[in-house]
Amino acid sequence: MSAPRSPTPSPVANIGTGTASSAVPSAAPLLQAEGLTRHYDVSRGWFATKATVRALDGVSFALEAGRTLAVVGESGCGKSTLARALTLIETPTAGRLRIRGQDAAQARTRAERQALRREVQMVFQNPYAALNPRKTIAQALAEPLLINTRFTAAERQERVAHLADQVGLRPEHLRRYPHMFSGGQRQRIAIARAMILQPGILVADEPTSALDLSIQAQILNLFMDLQQAYGTGYVFISHNLAVVAHVADEVMVMYLGRVVEHGSKQRLFEQPRHPYTQALISATPALRAADRRVRIPIHGELPSPLRPPSGCAFHQRCPMAIPRCAEVSPALREVDGRLVACDLV
Amino acid sequence: MLEISQLRVRFGGFTAVDGVDLSVSPGEVLGVVGESGSGKSVAMMALMGLVDAPGVVSAEHLRFDGQDLLTLSPARRRQLVGRDIAMVFQDALASLNPSFTVGFQIQEVLRQHLGLRGKAARERAAELLQQVDIPDAARRLDAYPHELSGGMNQRVMIALAIACSPRLLIADEPTTALDVTIQAQVMALLLRLQRERGMALVMITHDLAVVAEMAQRVAVMYAGQIVETGALPEVFDHPRHPYTAALLAAIPEHSRGARRLQALPGLVPGATDRPSGCLFSPRCPRVQDRCRAERPALAAGVRCFFPLEAPVATATATATGTGPGPGTDTVGEVPTP
Repeated sequence: MSAPRSPTPSPVANIGTGTASSAVPSAAPLLQAEGLTRHYDVSRGWFATKATVRALDGVSFALEAGRTLAVVGESGCGKSTLARALTLIETPTAGRLRIRGQDAAQARTRAERQALRREVQMVFQNPYAALNPRKTIAQALAEPLLINTRFTAAERQERVAHLADQVGLRPEHLRRYPHMFSGGQRQRIAIARAMILQPGILVADEPTSALDLSIQAQILNLFMDLQQAYGTGYVFISHNLAVVAHVADEVMVMYLGRVVEHGSKQRLFEQPRHPYTQALISATPALRAADRRVRIPIHGELPSPLRPPSGCAFHQRCPMAIPRCAEVSPALREVDGRLVACDLV
Repeated sequence: MLEISQLRVRFGGFTAVDGVDLSVSPGEVLGVVGESGSGKSVAMMALMGLVDAPGVVSAEHLRFDGQDLLTLSPARRRQLVGRDIAMVFQDALASLNPSFTVGFQIQEVLRQHLGLRGKAARERAAELLQQVDIPDAARRLDAYPHELSGGMNQRVMIALAIACSPRLLIADEPTTALDVTIQAQVMALLLRLQRERGMALVMITHDLAVVAEMAQRVAVMYAGQIVETGALPEVFDHPRHPYTAALLAAIPEHSRGARRLQALPGLVPGATDRPSGCLFSPRCPRVQDRCRAERPALAAGVRCFFPLEAPVATATATATGTGPGPGTDTVGEVPTP
């Protein structure tokens, strides 16, 4: 699907995206990761050799404009490391990241990097920690414009007012400070700040898990509205499968730094194939008795990433495991219209 | 077994818990749900005697097994709380003492309440860890909380809570900080212990699905009051209070296929902006003049002047159908009073 980048409803002229959009053939996907890998060296003491944590191990996907890729997994699965790699906060150890076709590693000059960073913005889990308490909302929203554009003060003000209105803030809110807002309102502010440069890609790391249920629904609706207005591609990281089932087009399930299953939402939720995806879906509590699945018992906990199991990382907890699983690490392959990293399906 | 009547907790001018009535029968699983600031945790802390100054707790009575906790001497109350009533908190790592091994902390409870010492206490502690499915229990006694994962620490907390075979266990968001598969393990563990020991369990949570799977009865709280209470799954299939209905409709699971969720506008009223009428009236889709002027009382399980229609007997059969449930459809209807 190639949803056109819908014309911005902003009264202010489109913020030219500089290098990114002009030099590149339009066929390239908005965001493309190829074998993205990030390893950390962890010291184990003075004399011991350093251990390597494979926080992210060969993750590949492509994201189109106006689409949402949900990344699902439990703590320690590498989803936050992925977010840090996608937002160019961290340089991957190996693999390639292309934003609108441009290789992020090739961006040598400061200006090139800045232009790329502008294309990928992020919304964090904790809206209490994500805003500077000493800045008014207007200042917080104008700062990305101040750094990244040559807008005049009046243009900045207009853009800030427009976006604030779009996320449901009132004009008088702009003069206030973060502590005067509730968590849900702060998340709206954080979303407005992330969207003010009209990035092509928005990475949201558990954006609603700190919010109450009734507020979560408001914020999820806001995400949907903004995507419709701007055609932004979302990478939506969450452990809440009910939320994922609502927002995602595609779902990628991760376990210990690797993708174990990746496919369309329908296929994944209706017929999960990887035993871990099946267990994850069956473990999610359901409101209605009719939606409850027979719980697939998963014993034990996520193994230490410092000492990952041999073979398939999931084999020790897997209800289907056979001896071979402890030896061979399964590669992602296409099964039934999605990618699965399990040799038994 | 437990009977709370008109429980009120005040912090200065702010009434965090406002006239809560609750009862729990032996062996029952009761869910207490509500958003943050609804008073669900403070109410249970008050029962446990854990509300410190400047909080002021008052109630008509807080009866446990016929004894009124409010009239007991502090020493007697401490004997009861921790032995017959125990509590599990959300953040296990913060609730355990980081300077002592988990074995020491369990043995401390056994010594305090049951007078067990030495080898007997150690053996009993290992047994308890085994009961909460901690592998290699005897060795884990010597572990410090920081050496265990979040799920393991929550199991240790549960072991501590059941150490004296309480008859009532209060679990405050016991699975909120845990991953989904671990949450399922801890939920199963709590239910198993509850059944095996015939203990009553009060689950405080904001997760309606967790309550739907575990509890037989539910109390929905809003701004310090119980707004609806009744048996499950009836309350969730056919909510009668507009807040319960709105909360259920806001769950993504409920709007499957729809692009937008049915969000409830506005916020839970804080300390300064509580309306004089019904506390939910500023956000209520069915609000009428009377709601703004008077505060409704809890009557027949619902605190509302204009509750949603009780289901007709035939409607129950279709209650579990997929798609937007019948509960959603009734939210918009405004009855003519």
